[in-house]
Amino acid sequence: MADYTIKVRRFQPESGEGPYWEEFNVDLDPSLSVLDGLLQAKDRDDGSLAVRCSCRAAICGSCGMKVNGQSTLGCKTQIGEAQEQADKMVGAAGVSAAVADSPIRGEGSDLGSAGNPIVIEPMGNMPVIKDLITDMESTHWTKIRRVTPWLLPHGEPPEREYVVEPESMIDITQSMACIQCGACVSSCLSMEADPGFIGPAALAKAYRFVGDPRDAETHERLHDLADDPHGIYDCTHCFSCIDACPKGVAPMDQIMRLRRKAGEEGIEDPNAGHDHEIAFVKVIEKKGLLDEALLVQESYAPGIKGKLKPSKRGLTETIKSLPTILRPLRKRKVKLRQAIPGLHHGLPKEAMGDVKSIYAHAEEHSEELNLYIRGEEGDDAQPDGAAAEEVTND
Amino acid sequence: MTENIKVAYWPGCVSRGFTPELHGSMAIVAEKLGWELVELDRANCCGAGVIAEHNQELADTLNARTFALAQQTGLAMMNICSTCQGAQSECQQRLDADSAYRAHINETLSGQGLAYEKGKDGFTNKNFLWLLVEDYGLDRLKEQVVRPLSGLRVGPFYGCYIVRPKERLGYGEFPDRDVYLEQVIEALGGTVVEYDGARKCCGFPVVTMNRDTSLRQAGTHVGDAIDAGADCLVTPCPLCHLNLDMQQPEAAKVVNRDLGLAVLHLPQLVGLALGAEPKDLGMGKHIASTRWVEERLTAGAPA
Amino acid sequence: MPSHDVLVIGAGLAGQRAALAAAEEGVSVGIISKVHPVRSHSNAAQGGINAALNPGDSWESHAFDTIKGSDYLSDQDAVEIMTREAPEEILHLEHLGVTFHRNEEGKLGTRAFGGASAARTYYVADITGQAIMHVLYEQLMKYSEQIARYEEWFCSSLAIDENGECCGVVTRNVADGQVELFQAKSVILCTGGNGMVWKPSTNALICTGDGIAMAYRAGAKLMDMEMIQYHPTTLAGKGFLITEGARGEGAHLLNAKGERFMERYAPNKMELASRDVVSRAEQTEINEGRGFPDGTVALDITVVPKKRVHEALREIVLVGRDFAGVDITREPIHIKPGNHYTMGGVKTDVDGRTDIPGLYSAGETACVSVHGGNRLGANSLLDTLIFGKRSGRDAAARAKRIDYARASKQVLEDEENLVADIISREKGSGRRISEIKLELGQTMDAKVAVFRDEAGITEALETVRRLKEEAKTAYIDDHGSVFNQDLLGAIELGYMLDNAECTCVAALERKESRGAQYRTDFPERNDTDWLKHIDLERTDDGPEISYSEVTITQWEPQERTY
Repeated sequence: MADYTIKVRRFQPESGEGPYWEEFNVDLDPSLSVLDGLLQAKDRDDGSLAVRCSCRAAICGSCGMKVNGQSTLGCKTQIGEAQEQADKMVGAAGVSAAVADSPIRGEGSDLGSAGNPIVIEPMGNMPVIKDLITDMESTHWTKIRRVTPWLLPHGEPPEREYVVEPESMIDITQSMACIQCGACVSSCLSMEADPGFIGPAALAKAYRFVGDPRDAETHERLHDLADDPHGIYDCTHCFSCIDACPKGVAPMDQIMRLRRKAGEEGIEDPNAGHDHEIAFVKVIEKKGLLDEALLVQESYAPGIKGKLKPSKRGLTETIKSLPTILRPLRKRKVKLRQAIPGLHHGLPKEAMGDVKSIYAHAEEHSEELNLYIRGEEGDDAQPDGAAAEEVTND
Repeated sequence: MTENIKVAYWPGCVSRGFTPELHGSMAIVAEKLGWELVELDRANCCGAGVIAEHNQELADTLNARTFALAQQTGLAMMNICSTCQGAQSECQQRLDADSAYRAHINETLSGQGLAYEKGKDGFTNKNFLWLLVEDYGLDRLKEQVVRPLSGLRVGPFYGCYIVRPKERLGYGEFPDRDVYLEQVIEALGGTVVEYDGARKCCGFPVVTMNRDTSLRQAGTHVGDAIDAGADCLVTPCPLCHLNLDMQQPEAAKVVNRDLGLAVLHLPQLVGLALGAEPKDLGMGKHIASTRWVEERLTAGAPA
Repeated sequence: MPSHDVLVIGAGLAGQRAALAAAEEGVSVGIISKVHPVRSHSNAAQGGINAALNPGDSWESHAFDTIKGSDYLSDQDAVEIMTREAPEEILHLEHLGVTFHRNEEGKLGTRAFGGASAARTYYVADITGQAIMHVLYEQLMKYSEQIARYEEWFCSSLAIDENGECCGVVTRNVADGQVELFQAKSVILCTGGNGMVWKPSTNALICTGDGIAMAYRAGAKLMDMEMIQYHPTTLAGKGFLITEGARGEGAHLLNAKGERFMERYAPNKMELASRDVVSRAEQTEINEGRGFPDGTVALDITVVPKKRVHEALREIVLVGRDFAGVDITREPIHIKPGNHYTMGGVKTDVDGRTDIPGLYSAGETACVSVHGGNRLGANSLLDTLIFGKRSGRDAAARAKRIDYARASKQVLEDEENLVADIISREKGSGRRISEIKLELGQTMDAKVAVFRDEAGITEALETVRRLKEEAKTAYIDDHGSVFNQDLLGAIELGYMLDNAECTCVAALERKESRGAQYRTDFPERNDTDWLKHIDLERTDDGPEISYSEVTITQWEPQERTY
């Protein structure tokens, strides 16, 4: 048993008052969860403390919340670990509590000192209904329904089961492992800036169908999600959802798979998402290093030098980005040849030959190693040298 | 940890493109710290996650080539870009996870006389920030400070790729990697400014696809740091620097407020404390003026 | 007043399947759940779902295993229906999109499970219940025009018309506290089991026996209430479930001396004997001093190839890591028997009909009875789906035949009075709800668990009756309308106490050992006197006992060894 202080961001909608912080002292074994701490406070001190919870074992997805600023499940976060985190991250984690109370840590900061409260807040990117209970219907579930979340096979089902690649079922089981807790939505930094973003949970759900060989609307689904300005190309690739997800769904990885599949389907989106990807790949193939100006030009107006068919958006966006290019020129930050697409330096010729041969090989194979399917060899796999030695010893 | 640091140095693309002051300041700081950097001038772009999104094998092979080049030097590898760190770690995770896959990738590289070996000589690839704290040490760093950043209020800005996903980025072994910037700022005598955006996304990856969302992110973080009383931000990621500094005037329009906050590259901040001159560190090349930072340093601690 | 031809209470697998089946018949359907449907406890069914679908297998074999597993207390006509209809249901789920594990040919693959004579368990890694339930919820979203969802509405009583038929429910919108009488031609109770009566339990906090208590209070008969399953592999202290799939994949049970003790209890099936058998074996080892100091034995999953663990037991890897700090691929994990499943429940026929016309029940709430004295692993999901489907269809057929009956507003008033009474109790006027729940759970786990005797059960019954009195004055802190979980907790406590009382009464009555009911004072099975169900009906003085016959079709009771 150990004593902890949990600091909960509370909101009682019928009180007529705004949100406030309340601290509860709880004592429980460090291996028990933050949710156990909340339930103890609720049982002993204040039954009006509202938190959704049910299974206590990270399978029902009810208790999404922020612990020390990190979106997670309350039941999956051990209170002892949460305390360590609170001590380490005091104020440094973007915990709005700490920010609101004391925005600046003084000189000779107490970073690392013990005994800070564990800060518990409702999930982000959702309206709060009461205490830790958020309105998931208007945010999370509306977005889930946006992706047509049911299987759309063609024709009558077979007499027996659909016969499919075993690995394809394992692959989409990663998305099926989603328990709709909303932790990823809570953590999503794209959604913070663009509330319209379809978001990590719904897009992971979309992959569950796109990756399902039984679904017959793959192309239509991908087109829909690529064309939507709040769709697959609106993900800012910040990895927040991967760290927030309690079930290893890795929503961002699923979004990247959707992009890859959209590319394979040859889907040209109006958001320059696919063009940007291709432009990046081509620039590196050409120069081995990034040529920023060439990337910008090729993303908005692919093939401008060759075919001269810039899109309207390509032109407007290029014009919009001109000040951004001109300012560094004025500051002599960037040399003129760097600002003109294609004149930037590249790798030496011999190295470029290496890069080109890699492209030739990889574009032919484009093997995808899905660690969810294959698993990691883990520690039985030795460093290469050691393994080789072992073989010779045998 | 008394031996000198000598590493295979991958500067990345942007430090030699749109943020040349990063490359320059790193050279100055390395000299002042007595580090020897063996630059990997034949290595290629990490792909920034975009190539992996297009073709995973292509990204993995390109980075395996970089690792192999580094391994040829017999040295550990250092990068100065959060995005390189993240993109390369992702590829390294796959390469290390599966020997058959690694062999397949190495077959492609064999024509170039290269091979990536898992765990060769304890091979690591660390950002300058990690190396500074873990291998060089904060105590040694403190000893080198000749111009303490007293009174300078610095907001850390990590860049997503160096803080997430934790499982891939060695947080099991080094759980404090997400507070190193704070530790370095304090070691240099500065004051850490807490604000909401330190570990959030600068928005750069979607600047092409959704300019408004992208610049809103950059503008919000810069604004939050200003509101929290920051004199400047510091970042180990040149791509974040592009959105936070080069795009700052555009970001200001999107969030509809005045910004104007200096954004320093990590080597610049270290360089200032080690006595290097702002001009030599390329601070005059920034879009958001660094004059206030320079004034703060000459004025010393505020009353 | 909202009206639906068929109203389903509870949205786990049984409820969702019932709603979909009723909607297919073309009637209007409403589904009410006190939590969002995907939070339902069917999620927790990890291991899989049984069906004799392989060419070499037969429904008769599946039926026999089920009946033997039940210690011959199941009704064999119901078991026949369940096992015959199982293959079609699996294929139906597969066609809807469940990502069942495939064999190398890309066809449905199986794993072994306890008490089964063939590997007939179909599965999705170790998240089978979750995977099926989320697919059914996809279908609920797809058919939202036919099926109205009332998510986070709490049901507190059934409306019975003057002819004694069920004609609706009283329900409270948790979000704003608004109480409504919903009208229906058929009501299907699918509210799950009552695991919260025991502490610890593998069950979720929501498993408070709501439907069982509501039906009981409305006058429906309960059956087999003494039959409470203790699962052999639950995490010590926390009660979390480790799937039987682990043993299905080959994991061993070891005592503190490192002995594979199942050799002594079930030499043929070893770890894959029926759950009651394995739980008793473990408890015997622990009681006789061969367990670990923390009152556990060990489950050794390290004997299962790592690759296979990674693919088929992912969830257990997480449970071990997050809740026990154990890497199950490297070391054994400490486990013990823990409360898991309610075999008994609301007495129904094979179409889910209870004793009250218009009232149906399916899933863990119901007792058909297909599980009898002991449920086989991977038969619970099957039960929910088959009898969920059948009740949905029959409830729809009834709705087509009849008109809405007028429900008396009295039930609504009773509900409002009850709520007003609970809220009016002053702080400190009685015990806290949480204290009563804790005492209840600990008492039941101590006295009405794997091994039982007259003295213990009697003591438990006395405690339960005292707690029922104390509950009448127990106070709550929250007096608001929005998400008043405190109030719901007080109502749930009432449900739990009714469930507990019934279990104690039935356990005391059955003076033999059969399935999960092991009486140390009556250690033998006694087919002469006790091959019958115990039925309970509510009176003001507590449950009234009657008996009903066990239906035997083709499998005469035999001695049961594994």
